[in-house]
Amino acid sequence: MINNEWLSHQTIQSRGDYKEVRAEMVAPEIGFSLWRQMTRLRTVEQALHEEYHPADEMRCPIHFCIGQESIPAALSLLVQASDYLFSHHRSHGYFFAKGSPLKELFAEIYGKETGANGGKAGSQDISHHETRFYSGAILSGAVAIAAGVATGLKIRKSKEISIAGFGEGATDEGAFWETLNYAGKEQLPLLLVCENNRYATYSDQLKRQFNDNISERVKPFGIRSIKVFGNDSPLVYRTIEEGIKSIREGAGPLLVEAYTYRWNSHVGPEDDGKNEYRTSEEMNFWKRNCPIRLLENALKNANQWNQSDIDKAKKIIDQEIAECFRFAKESAFPAGVCWKELNEEDKTPLADQWLAEEQACTFDQNQSDAKLGPY
Amino acid sequence: MGRELTYAGAILEATSQAMSKSDQVVIMGQLVDYSSGVFGTTTGLVNQYGVERVRDFPVAENLMTQTALGMALNGFRPLIVHQRLDFMIYSLDAIANWLALWRFKSNGKTNLPVVIRAIVGKGWGQGPQHSKSLHSWFAHLPGLRVAIPATAYDAKGILLESLLGESPTIIIEGRSLFSMKEEVPEEMYRVRFGKAAIRKAGKDITLVALGMMVPIALRVAAELEKVGVEVEVIDLRTISPWDETAVLNSVQKTGRLVVADPAWKSFGVAGEIVTTIAERFRGEWKSRPRRITHPDSHTPMSMSLEKEYYPNELKLVEELQEMMKA
Repeated sequence: MINNEWLSHQTIQSRGDYKEVRAEMVAPEIGFSLWRQMTRLRTVEQALHEEYHPADEMRCPIHFCIGQESIPAALSLLVQASDYLFSHHRSHGYFFAKGSPLKELFAEIYGKETGANGGKAGSQDISHHETRFYSGAILSGAVAIAAGVATGLKIRKSKEISIAGFGEGATDEGAFWETLNYAGKEQLPLLLVCENNRYATYSDQLKRQFNDNISERVKPFGIRSIKVFGNDSPLVYRTIEEGIKSIREGAGPLLVEAYTYRWNSHVGPEDDGKNEYRTSEEMNFWKRNCPIRLLENALKNANQWNQSDIDKAKKIIDQEIAECFRFAKESAFPAGVCWKELNEEDKTPLADQWLAEEQACTFDQNQSDAKLGPY
Repeated sequence: MGRELTYAGAILEATSQAMSKSDQVVIMGQLVDYSSGVFGTTTGLVNQYGVERVRDFPVAENLMTQTALGMALNGFRPLIVHQRLDFMIYSLDAIANWLALWRFKSNGKTNLPVVIRAIVGKGWGQGPQHSKSLHSWFAHLPGLRVAIPATAYDAKGILLESLLGESPTIIIEGRSLFSMKEEVPEEMYRVRFGKAAIRKAGKDITLVALGMMVPIALRVAAELEKVGVEVEVIDLRTISPWDETAVLNSVQKTGRLVVADPAWKSFGVAGEIVTTIAERFRGEWKSRPRRITHPDSHTPMSMSLEKEYYPNELKLVEELQEMMKA
């Protein structure tokens, strides 16, 4: 494909603005769908972002993914309903990618009974079992669990795959490297998508790691890997498309490292710039090289930009978001929870069916004479 | 007299029967597919069920537990085995941040039937990293079931109940119990969680015992019987949930409570039992409740210190006799 040996967060800016997006890499309807899905996700996040503090009705930490729309948008067009998708705390893009119902995301953030988890999980722990989407805040946990699902899929000789989305911060964790060791050895049907956005909260990857080439370091574990400029959505789409195809065909695990960037603070809508961890020059570079804008230019260059289709799509998105807000705000808060029932399952259908009841006192009283073993 | 099995043999039989009954059951752990079979508890399973279902896992306890979680999400019923509980501490993230709260976080929709067997060493110089019994840590977490079987019968019944149940479960097994024999039915049966066994009836003192303390408690009860003291020995069998009613009923009869817990005293299960009964008991204490535990110290290696460290029968007899004087 494209020679990208140079690619890393250390070199991206020095090469100047990214000019390699080619709409022709994908079919026109895919190009349009990528634009629509990225715009949909961006609009959702912007709407939540704007509404977050003024109303103060969303009372949970939210890690916005504005600027990182390309990976979720590509996945949303490529995963099947029966595939499993695991996400980190910056979960909205992946929730969206799995086609989980957006109004249940909104209601969950509002802490309502109609939320995806009835208001128990919130933004950073949300899941939607029916569409096989799961997330969690503790870094790399979701990567390891995805390997467990992939183990099950391999035993069943299933064509489904397991996908984990995570940031480069998660690759500091031991669990990540344990997963590589096992997934490589077992050649699991596992797609690892590393959205390398350079910073773990504020901490630069090179403050935490010797190098910023995750995709190189996974190879000796038996994991195939590829790195891409993560804001080039047609390239991301093609890369993941081929990756998923190869995994379904039994080629084993693949890691895609996509270099991208988050526009917002690590968490919430406030500006965390006072920590002085990134320059305005860097921020401006990434805003200029926004995945939506890059694709828009590429679609225009390829004469695939139809303004009336675009306007129509934008209108539908706005309507959808208004409906999501309405649903979330009008839904009732959960109340009167049975804590025990919520935490513990007391039904045991299989045991009821297969196990005999305990017999009355079969205990051998000579037990009291038995000697303990040596250790 | 029916057929006898050792504690280890009972675990092996329960595992094999569950695997034979349901192909959802898989076992994972270090060395589970070798003939030594984790002290005889997994021996031969690989010949019967193959390497896909009897999985020798990399030495990565956290990943192993997360893998089990993912497999459960995919419809399996994984059984994890730790040769020593101490190694399991690497998996606390998987247990406390994911497994225990998965049902809660799913709004009560998704259950994960993951079963974890953790073996606790005792004696012959196991020292501080082969002997910790951290059942109180696990019992502290909502969403987990925790059992501590003392007998071969219970080891089988609790394991089957767990493997064919729907909840994440941790089973603490005392290594020193593995060779003890008991009559064990061949059929598949269940020992339910939250149901204690009254090992010996008595009217003078309620002695609640856990795991490795059960045989000791019974020997102590037999000793005291000789001097006319009737000890009621209650084997709790499971600690999350635990049978509050059985203990309360007994204390209502005896007015005396002592808990023998093979673990540290502070912030432990013994304290939890005494507190709960103190809150619920409406009668008059004939003697203040007591805890018999390991000292609040890490386990020594030397055999002379091991003798001082672990509570022995003599000490228990003295303690209980003192309760009768009070």
